[in-house]
Amino acid sequence: MGTHHHPFAGKVGKPLVKYILKTLWRHRARTFLTVSGTAVAMFVFCLVGSVQQGMSRLTEDTAANQNLIVFQENRFCPASSHLPEDYAAKIQKLDGVREVIPIQVWTNNCRASLDIVVFNGADPTKIQRHRPLVLTDGSWQTFSNRQDAAIVGRGVASRRNISAGDQFTIGSLSVYVAGIFISEIPAEENLIYTDLRFLQYTSGLNMAGLVTQHEVVLNESASPDLVASEIDALLRSGAVATKTRRKSAFQASTLSDLIDLISFAHWLGYASIGLVLSLVATTTVMSVQDRMKEYAVLQTLGVRPSGTVSLVVGESLFLCLVGGCVGTFIASITLFVGSFAIGAEGATIAFRPSLSLALFGVGISLAVGVIAGIAPAIRAATVNIANTLQDA
Amino acid sequence: MALVELSNVTKQFTKGEQTITPLDQIDLQIAEGEFVSLMGPSGSGKSTLLNLVSGIDRPDSGSIVIDGTDITQLSRGKLADWRAENLGYIFQTHNLIPVLTAYENVELPTLLLKQTSQQRARRVQLAMNAVGLGDRVNHYPRQLSGGQEQRVGIARAIVTHPKIVVADEPTGSLDLKTSRQIQKLLQDLNQQLGITMLMVTHDNEVASIATRQLLLNQGKFIDGHTSPSVRREGGEALG
Ligand SMILES: Nc1ncnc2c1ncn2[C@@H]1O[C@H](COP(=O)(O)OP(=O)(O)OP(=O)(O)O)[C@@H](O)[C@H]1O
Ligand SMILES: [Mg+2]
Repeated sequence: MGTHHHPFAGKVGKPLVKYILKTLWRHRARTFLTVSGTAVAMFVFCLVGSVQQGMSRLTEDTAANQNLIVFQENRFCPASSHLPEDYAAKIQKLDGVREVIPIQVWTNNCRASLDIVVFNGADPTKIQRHRPLVLTDGSWQTFSNRQDAAIVGRGVASRRNISAGDQFTIGSLSVYVAGIFISEIPAEENLIYTDLRFLQYTSGLNMAGLVTQHEVVLNESASPDLVASEIDALLRSGAVATKTRRKSAFQASTLSDLIDLISFAHWLGYASIGLVLSLVATTTVMSVQDRMKEYAVLQTLGVRPSGTVSLVVGESLFLCLVGGCVGTFIASITLFVGSFAIGAEGATIAFRPSLSLALFGVGISLAVGVIAGIAPAIRAATVNIANTLQDA
Repeated sequence: MALVELSNVTKQFTKGEQTITPLDQIDLQIAEGEFVSLMGPSGSGKSTLLNLVSGIDRPDSGSIVIDGTDITQLSRGKLADWRAENLGYIFQTHNLIPVLTAYENVELPTLLLKQTSQQRARRVQLAMNAVGLGDRVNHYPRQLSGGQEQRVGIARAIVTHPKIVVADEPTGSLDLKTSRQIQKLLQDLNQQLGITMLMVTHDNEVASIATRQLLLNQGKFIDGHTSPSVRREGGEALG
């Protein structure tokens, strides 16, 4: 007499998967509704997740933690911060400072917006040296040579349908698109860089000699907070008082209203998971309740209680996993194609698809699938076989 | 020693205040190759006895030794394993899995045993042929007649070559003609393949195909035909 086999192991796994699939197929309307509900919820979960990821990238970016932003004290919108450009030379003299980049910022919208256009005007050679940008189209050459040239981040370019060689006009600004760039920092991909002079002359009245902010690149050994307070102390006596912070802290405070909102959105993510759980659990409970007798028969034939658990959990796992994968996949595609970014006051949070997010989505679906199936699985496995068979 | 040996088996149920004792200290021996029918009034405990022999219910006291194993001592999981290897169960209503074809239904119990796919295929084919349904393998239960469904159910019960096959009113929901065909089939399985059977029935005619008839009433066997009836066990077949 052969040794007994666990019904979910080895070669025997295949027929039991077939049994699960056939059972789900028999109730295909219910299966389809559950899978699509799960997909929608996981879609929402992934969108919310990508917003959260975009936000945490602001503070985790190492360059943003080692660079400082010098801004006018008590000013919040780029339009209202005016620092003398020659502060750069003073800051440059401080210990630990490697380079100072005076930047003029122009934005079409100081309020929170999903289609914010932010121009950063700076010295093209400094941009090339300190920003992790890779041109996918156009050339740095054209960017440095033409006064009205701009390089455009992939995110803005795809939202606004801009390509190299175009003339791009917004408000009073009109630039020649010298190139499209990608960046390992997704928020960068929502910026447009121009020459500092160009932006100073176009963006208003008396901007010559003034910039919005100075970005300070520090030596690796320098302590950002220490240098920041040195800068503010140094410039206190100047024409305009400054407030210097790490770039990450600067961005976080600029976006603080949005960040509150976004942090709140994580509840939406939890709610999505709860929705999937209740949806799949309901379907599985219904499916099991309808078929208690079938489980009694299977166990009479010799399927172990553990095998019965596998059958039921397999069902809920399948529903969750298929729905979860579909939702995650569609969300990733949407995020990729849409290049969404939310911005306020010249800072942006980019929502990008990511492998970690996709894996997390699939992992969550897996876990929810198991959890949703446990209670009905235990019911099916512990069914009173004799009584259930007697009930016609 | 008999293949099946029940000693001093008692089973009680409590319904509210009332305690019923469908099986009251009964003894029963079934020899290998026997075909035992079990009759008795409704509620006399026939199904209960069958369920105890199948290990899908447990007695309150007594022992049930089948082929040397006291199945009352086995855990639920071990009982499932034991059933997979040793027991065939024919239900009153076929209880086929609706989403599986006739072939897949019959194949199912073999999947629980360690066999090669060739061994499985051969056994399924043998069982299907034995019940005369070799040409219906790819039909779903709903595409079969009641009699055909019951044949598939019987094929499923014998496909693993179990030590004993139990049947609870296997012809109970069939018309007379179909019932007679199934009776003939069960008799053939016993006589030609030597399958040991324990069958519950209400019908005298059905009971008569067995080699020994038992009558259960008020917790006891009437007549006391409790000893084995096949020749090699000493008794004379009564059927
Ligand atoms: N789980 C249970 N709980 C309480 N009482 C039960 C249970 N199962 C069976 N009984 C009772 O035990 C007695 C025997 O039941 P059983 O089903 O074995 O009878 P039976 O001989 O098979 O009857 P029938 O010919 O109607 O099928 C009946 O009185 C029944 O009501
Ligand atoms: Mg009964």
